[in-house]
Amino acid sequence: MLVTWRYRLRNGLMERFDPRARWIFSLAFLFSVTLFWDARFLVFFFIIAFVWYFSSRAKWKETHRGWYLIGFILFTMIVVNTIITGGGAGGVVPPGGHLVWPEGGTIPLVNWNFHFGLTWERLWFAICQVLRISGISAIFLIIPYTMDPRVYGVTFHGLGLPDSFAYSMELAFRYVPTLARDFGTTFDAQRARGYEIERVKGGLIKQVARIAPLIVPVTMNSILTGEDVTNAMDLRCFGQGPRTWLYKLTFHWQDYALIAFSFILLAGGIVTNVAFHFGGFWVPQFWLKLAGV
Amino acid sequence: MQKKSWKFGTREVVYSAIGAALYAILSLATNWIQLPSAGNVSFRPAVVIPMFFGVVFGPIVGFIAGFLGNIISDLIAGYGLWFWWDIGNGLIGMIPGLIAVWMTTYRAFKDILWADIFSALGVLIGMGLASISEMWVSGADISTVIYANFIPAIAPDLINGLILLPILMVAYAAIVKRSGR
Repeated sequence: MLVTWRYRLRNGLMERFDPRARWIFSLAFLFSVTLFWDARFLVFFFIIAFVWYFSSRAKWKETHRGWYLIGFILFTMIVVNTIITGGGAGGVVPPGGHLVWPEGGTIPLVNWNFHFGLTWERLWFAICQVLRISGISAIFLIIPYTMDPRVYGVTFHGLGLPDSFAYSMELAFRYVPTLARDFGTTFDAQRARGYEIERVKGGLIKQVARIAPLIVPVTMNSILTGEDVTNAMDLRCFGQGPRTWLYKLTFHWQDYALIAFSFILLAGGIVTNVAFHFGGFWVPQFWLKLAGV
Repeated sequence: MQKKSWKFGTREVVYSAIGAALYAILSLATNWIQLPSAGNVSFRPAVVIPMFFGVVFGPIVGFIAGFLGNIISDLIAGYGLWFWWDIGNGLIGMIPGLIAVWMTTYRAFKDILWADIFSALGVLIGMGLASISEMWVSGADISTVIYANFIPAIAPDLINGLILLPILMVAYAAIVKRSGR
């Protein structure tokens, strides 16, 4: 089984920033945008998110899979939740509102009358959901394509995580190709012995238990390997003092600028929302005019 | 040697990393498995990994195996980062880890029973938190959260975890007995 990282060097603007500054910006964005349901603020965040996204120079061919998943989630949230069900739209949209089809409709042939409770306000809320979720997705979807997996450990160490946690992260990335290879070997070996995962028979419990011949050998082998690695690290005095890292990260002026911007974004969002009570759900006049209000 | 629940030494660092990498790989490798008898639902057998690592190595190892494993799996698949779902997966590993110090032989009926109970609890709490987060992130209402997120998440996780966890524990008991660890 081949496992490859999606990262490659693109020489985009995004890659000129230190990974630590990028993480700070991404998390500040996430917490800021979740403070607002006012479309005027959400458009602002949406524009920031996609300017950031396009600065990566990642192509649609590379990222389309992630966007399809986001599209599916948006469809579920918006069509099923906001439009079809009578849900209160997360407690954001006030009850009542102006019906899109106040007279209802009739299904032909059976002559059944139905009344669809969709309101113009909930429809506007669906647009706000698209803006919000797309913005958040753009910020985080682009990370695996633009951040070198070799610097995750030192990045999180630089963000204040203890050495042991940061090194655990780096070691996990290091182990992924090894375990992928071991899984492939185990899978081939079991299939050579007549194991057919596609043809499991029996009840639910038996079918799930039939996956054990794949999972158990790989897990047990990796645990045994882990003991050797632990001994090797202990012999090299791991954990006895501060650890040095292979890669060194240095802040430049643009990173300080990005961090300052992130701080202003988050602080501004909190003050605007909490102190001045701006940013709640708002329906524009032109939209209500469509409803004939 | 008396076990310490919240210890995070060299051994725990290594097993956190192995657990995370294993969860990521097995998630990617087995996500396509469909069980026709369950109505064409796609299962995720790999969810047993954070539970198992939590039960054997403690709550911190279990949390990192679930949290980081889910992040790596999404990174490789190109799905980006889903923070609250990563935390939820971390809790799936952490909560069974709370009873790591109670484990004796790993194959005793009492050990397996407690491991299954706490794994189920971990799934409910972890996936519950992740599902509820959709209310403040995406603006979903409670019924969408329950029917579109919570139930589809916990059903395969509970089934896979409760069936595969005892199998892994018995296999691990054999290794412990043989190697004298």
